[in-house]
Amino acid sequence: MRIILTFLVLPACWAQSGAADGATRADWPHYGGTQLSWRYTALDQVNTANVKNLSPAWIFQTGDYSEGLQATPIVVDGVMYIITARAQVFALNAATGAVLWHYRYPPVRPPGIGGIAENQESRGVAVGNGMVFFGTADNYMVALDQKTGREVWKVSVDDTKQCGCSIAAAPLVVKDKVVVGGNGGDQAHRGYLTAFNSKTGRLAWRWYVVPAPGEKGNETWKGDSWRYGGGAPWMTGSYDSSLNLIYWGTGNAASDFYDADRVPSPDKSKDTNLYTASVVALDADTGKLRWHYQEVPDDVWDFDSAYEVLLMDRQVRGRMRQILVHMNKSGLTFVLDRATGEFLGVFSTPEVRNWITGVTEDGKLVGRNEPKPGKTDTFCPSAAGAKSWNSMAYSPRTGFIYTPINELCAALNPTTEGPQEGRGFMNSSMDFKLPPGRTTYSHLDAWDPVTGKRAWSYPYKYILLASVLATAGDLVFTGDPEGNFIAFNAKTGAKAWSYQTGAGHRGSSMSYAVNGRQFIATPVGWQALLVGGLGASLFGDLNPRIGSTIIAFALPEGSK
Amino acid sequence: MKWLWVFSAAQAVMWGQSAREAVRQGEQIFAKSCATGYCHGARGGPGGAPRLAGRGFTQPFIAATVARGVSGTAMPSFAGTLSRSDLAAVVAYVSTLNGIANPAVAANVGGAESNAGPALSANAAKGRQLFSDAVRGFGRCSTCHEVNGLGISVATPIAEIPANAQALRSLATPHVLTSIIGGEQMPSLPVSSTNRGVVFYDLTSSPPVLRTADQGSVTSKEGSPWSHSSAIGSYNDAELDAILEYLRAASVP
Repeated sequence: MRIILTFLVLPACWAQSGAADGATRADWPHYGGTQLSWRYTALDQVNTANVKNLSPAWIFQTGDYSEGLQATPIVVDGVMYIITARAQVFALNAATGAVLWHYRYPPVRPPGIGGIAENQESRGVAVGNGMVFFGTADNYMVALDQKTGREVWKVSVDDTKQCGCSIAAAPLVVKDKVVVGGNGGDQAHRGYLTAFNSKTGRLAWRWYVVPAPGEKGNETWKGDSWRYGGGAPWMTGSYDSSLNLIYWGTGNAASDFYDADRVPSPDKSKDTNLYTASVVALDADTGKLRWHYQEVPDDVWDFDSAYEVLLMDRQVRGRMRQILVHMNKSGLTFVLDRATGEFLGVFSTPEVRNWITGVTEDGKLVGRNEPKPGKTDTFCPSAAGAKSWNSMAYSPRTGFIYTPINELCAALNPTTEGPQEGRGFMNSSMDFKLPPGRTTYSHLDAWDPVTGKRAWSYPYKYILLASVLATAGDLVFTGDPEGNFIAFNAKTGAKAWSYQTGAGHRGSSMSYAVNGRQFIATPVGWQALLVGGLGASLFGDLNPRIGSTIIAFALPEGSK
Repeated sequence: MKWLWVFSAAQAVMWGQSAREAVRQGEQIFAKSCATGYCHGARGGPGGAPRLAGRGFTQPFIAATVARGVSGTAMPSFAGTLSRSDLAAVVAYVSTLNGIANPAVAANVGGAESNAGPALSANAAKGRQLFSDAVRGFGRCSTCHEVNGLGISVATPIAEIPANAQALRSLATPHVLTSIIGGEQMPSLPVSSTNRGVVFYDLTSSPPVLRTADQGSVTSKEGSPWSHSSAIGSYNDAELDAILEYLRAASVP
């Protein structure tokens, strides 16, 4: 009877032993929870029945109020590691919020060459092999001693004055290496992933997103355009230890909105400008490309595919598959076999869309509506993303992915100038617009990635730019720009609880336990610039406040 | 205080044909350098960065902000990247977006002046490109040397320029030591040694790694099998000669 119940309530994969388990427990060891990037905790002490009693257990103010707090806290053995916009790193007692150590990265002088790369922000540290790793706005990788916070090594990944690039993404620790991507794909720059030996900081491997002459894929670039072809993989990847593959999403081709100088063939049904706007699988030891899947051939909308890659095992058309689920900025969400890269399915998540008319059953874009130089046209969704870089979550109990979707458009007026190394290379302004005829401009959705069906949707009047957390207590958490931290029923989408935290949410909540007590922790603090800046510029009545605070919620001690 | 030039050095402040030209020029620069990507919207409308039109900004405020940037934000200083005339033009244009009908404009705005340094010979210009050639990854000179604001200053500033490629390859590097840490020997470049630890560059592979170790955990001795030629293997002799020509040109004050 119990087995039947399991089959009824849970997706079939759960009944199969050995299925990839991406759930966290007491620790939250990686950016995406585990290296499978589910942002799902198996802890269920806080659940739909008692979430109404959830209260702040402690509050920590970082004191760095230069921007919002975008990081995902990491918790290992009762210690929380958090990084601020200006790369101050704190180790906190995760039960009390008390500071164990505090590291300040020296102030970074922006190179002053224009473009987004010089913006100071940080989306998290990685912890492993006794160290805490992070990238910096001036393009260094730094390793701190996990116990003391003292610097152990530091290495220049690239010359930020030349490349216009920087690092905001959390690194990914894979065995004895630490792998990191970088910003810079909107500059004249050639993106790459770099792996360092975690103990010594020595270079282990580098993989360029854009292949050089003589390498496979270079033929998908016109002339010398590969040199500044963009593709920067600016977020954090995933790792499957059984396949020994790391998965990363790559950024848009550059220049973003003007393709005549980089596209060698008019046939855009085929791979174009490899390996931009793709998901790639690399051998974790060597960085060699195992397979790729390009989601947006000739990306002329800045719909880069740099976002998180969720690894899970699911029944697809009657067969258990090792799959990955990956959304890019267009909101197209691809399901691929993660061992081979085989296309299994795709669905489109935004409600307002005019950049394509559809997608074929084998994943080809139909009815491409492309920006044209010298002409101003409005495209939906916008390059701010149907989803921004903030992560979705996956619950194996419901089988749903949970993601915010924004309904924004932008007018583009492409220009034709060529690259200047390290300088902005988007070749258009973006005039962001609210689509007409709506009263809500975002929604938090539950989607079944296998069927491509939306299970529920919670509409919201502004935009949603915080990551999502799913829990075994059948709750889904996210925050909004007004400062509300909200719990939803994971099955129905009913709002179960909310708490006004005092500033907007642009970071990533997570969960952990210390001595058997479950905590739900969220960074608080809006991003004033870039995509976050749209909050104030598009909505006259919204004043999302920056800040830099961690609030750790728990049930009152002694309560059940 | 660079922006003050726009006003104090503009003896011939005027509004007329050339000023209208400056605003038009500023509009073009704004479209290219400011209303781009995630930054300001077209014609100062809202973008990822704040709206600039109709904000009631004064011209001195605009000039200061454009020249200095806004600390802690993505707004960079344009003082080093736009020529003086371009700076003044863009300030004039943004002023008109804020209701300043007749912004003060220096008389020579619209001229061809730029911030470019002294002209390099063709070979030296090639050498400058090779010095920091991104295609060479960590095999380029700028991985360890900073010249004219480009590169990472791992090595001390280049004081003497070797005569030719051969001399560059066989350059003596007496500052490179051999350090032993945890039983492992490595070529190292010492940085500091204080009670907070021993700081040195590990030159085992490129890029060099700045490492910090406890006092007493590292021992160092003179000499190392490391050689400069191993660090510049991505260049041929003609390329090294071009780089040397660039360094000679760059060292002229």
